Amino acid sequence: MTQSLTSRMSFSRLARRDWREWLTFLLFVGPNLALFFAFTYYPLLRNVLLSFQDYNTFTDTGEFIGLTNFKDVFTDSQTSVIMRNTLVFTVAVVVIILTLGLLVALLLNQKLRMRDAVRSLVFSPTVLAGSAVAVVWIYIFDPRNGLILQLLKPLAINPPRWLYDPAWAMIAIIIVYVWKNLGYAVVIFVAGLQAIPNDLYEAARVDGANAMQRFRNVTIPGLSPVTFFLAVTLVLNSFQAFDLIRIMTGGGPVNATNVLIYRLYELGFGTNTSVGRASVIGLVLFVIMLIVTILQLRLLERRVSYAN
Amino acid sequence: MSRKQKTVFETPISRRRLLRGIGFGAGAAALAACGQGAAPAAPTSAPVAAPTVVSKPGSVVEVVYWGFSGGVNEKTDGEVAAKFNAAQKDVKVTVQVQGNYEETANKLTNALAAKQAPDMCLLSDVWWFKFMRAKALQPMNDYITAEKLNPAEFVDSLWNEGVRKGVQYWIPYARSTPLFYYNMDMYQAAGFSKAPATWAEYVDMAPKLIKKEGDTMKVSAFAHSNGASYNAWVFMCTAWQFGGGYSDMALTKYMLTDPETVRAAQFMADSVNKAKWAHVTADPQKDFISGLCASAIMSTGSLGGVLKDAQFKVGTAFLPMEKNFGCCTGGSGIGILSTAPKEKAQAAMKFINYMTGTEGGAYFSQNTGYMPVRKTTAEAESYKAFFAKTPQAKTAVDQLPKTRAQDAARVFIPGGDQIIGKGLERIVIGKEDALTVWKDITATLEKEGEPVKKDIAALG
Repeated sequence: MTQSLTSRMSFSRLARRDWREWLTFLLFVGPNLALFFAFTYYPLLRNVLLSFQDYNTFTDTGEFIGLTNFKDVFTDSQTSVIMRNTLVFTVAVVVIILTLGLLVALLLNQKLRMRDAVRSLVFSPTVLAGSAVAVVWIYIFDPRNGLILQLLKPLAINPPRWLYDPAWAMIAIIIVYVWKNLGYAVVIFVAGLQAIPNDLYEAARVDGANAMQRFRNVTIPGLSPVTFFLAVTLVLNSFQAFDLIRIMTGGGPVNATNVLIYRLYELGFGTNTSVGRASVIGLVLFVIMLIVTILQLRLLERRVSYAN
Repeated sequence: MSRKQKTVFETPISRRRLLRGIGFGAGAAALAACGQGAAPAAPTSAPVAAPTVVSKPGSVVEVVYWGFSGGVNEKTDGEVAAKFNAAQKDVKVTVQVQGNYEETANKLTNALAAKQAPDMCLLSDVWWFKFMRAKALQPMNDYITAEKLNPAEFVDSLWNEGVRKGVQYWIPYARSTPLFYYNMDMYQAAGFSKAPATWAEYVDMAPKLIKKEGDTMKVSAFAHSNGASYNAWVFMCTAWQFGGGYSDMALTKYMLTDPETVRAAQFMADSVNKAKWAHVTADPQKDFISGLCASAIMSTGSLGGVLKDAQFKVGTAFLPMEKNFGCCTGGSGIGILSTAPKEKAQAAMKFINYMTGTEGGAYFSQNTGYMPVRKTTAEAESYKAFFAKTPQAKTAVDQLPKTRAQDAARVFIPGGDQIIGKGLERIVIGKEDALTVWKDITATLEKEGEPVKKDIAALG
């Protein structure tokens, strides 16, 4: 009897402690969870719901129409063009930014005069507003009075009509995107280069490795964690490149610069308002980003060598 | 009383107080999350009910108006409201600027869902019908009668565009038509004294208007608009001139694949790609003012801005003919939102009466280039003096009786303007075969137009 009373007492004390721990846990996690739910999970779930509906924005009502929105999106001749554009844009900007970023970082990691000033200069476009950058570059690309035209005039070279030519518009957007985001990669690469212990280079030198061998066997593996991080963030960011396209080309000419995120905007908020189809595009984008991230985590991370 | 009262910042925060605060914050976030989705669905058939009493009798009724954005038009629109506010004491109009027609319409859609809509809104030819179909616009007949607004004073065709089965939903305000603008200095330098009357004539004139530097065209004879600058609006006129068009008013027949419309599109493409006397731009007004082209077809609503900024003599003319003369109406009018209470709606009508009338309307159209929507305005003394000073505006008013309402495919089908505009870009910029593209576009229009067709049949 006494024993059972004691055990009951300790049980209730235990339960009270458990409850307290739970309360503390909830207090810490709750606010974050509420925000995540409000701004991430709820929109995601609602997006899935909307993709099966013929949603009326005026009345905030939706009628379930099964897979019609999916059929409409996937049978639309524009969708394949837009998917291809998205792929071209993402591959191009990620590869160029990683390559160029590494080269510039290697240069800025040397003991050069005015190095800090140049580093700030390279990084500065990253903090500029995309819309402002876009407006300035429209003038640079202008086919009749633009800066590029003026610069090439003495060389008797005729530049293309950039934003007005379907063959060149995507290249123009890629140039501006790379220019704007290169600084971000450079800063991360420089930090990565500085984190590589000098001993490794010295050891390699002692073993008789030349500059190229040191780069291949010390720098590249040493940079793999930051390269991996950059690859993931650059891919995800490139899928969301909206501001430059919205202002510089509006997805044109003739859909030449229309990418998934811009198509989502066109369908959801543009003149062909169809929230259901826009939600399908949103889902497609989500699934692609999920797959890319999983693949990168599975395949690339294995090759990453973390120091220590 | 000597004890100083503690302010919020001086009160120490106890643990309990902090927890209460956090709890409240989390609750608010959860509520915000549920906001839109959990709201009970409004019935689709009934308009949003407007409350009847908003203010004490005799007090000033405040009206929120979403108007023009940008340049001369925004400035003049705001001045009209200020003049109205100064002229009487019963109604106070607050003008809010949201963006271009598309941006305004998008924001209005969201504002309606959030029950934050203005009382009256400027809606373009392409947008008003969509809001009316969604029952977001109030029938105006009672307010018109109470305000003693006389429909007979308005240009009939413009007034009637906003009427469905005898009910007025949209009143013309900033109505425009396409107009042929030309740089008189460049024309004179090339030996021309006037604008072309026909496209055939223009094809002969164009090569003399071009200026080249090596292979680069510095000045083109003509600037075509692109999808962003409403190419489907201007091209509708070209299609009519060639004997084609987009569709009938009931959306039972599409004419894009007719040989005449195909020929019109091919003519436009050839002017850019083969004959190379024209170029395509997102902003013909900017190109024209900067002297990058000798002529362009633009809205009469651009006249104010062009005359203000151009450093050369500006000429205007009727649109060139081909088989026929063809010119459509365009621009925007005013709708009163269903969510506006009756007092505000009536007050909005008082402002509409002013802004379209001999005082406000004349001031607006003389400064912007938009059409005077009332015959009485165009006949007023102030207008005679204005025409004498600005003959370019007279051309636009003279052309008005020859215009007609737009084909339903562009204005009534959701996204119709951009669907056709993008098709035209494929032909002119993408150099695709015109007939193949128009077949493709017709299929899209037929699909998107299906639900609208039923409404047009029902609403008249």
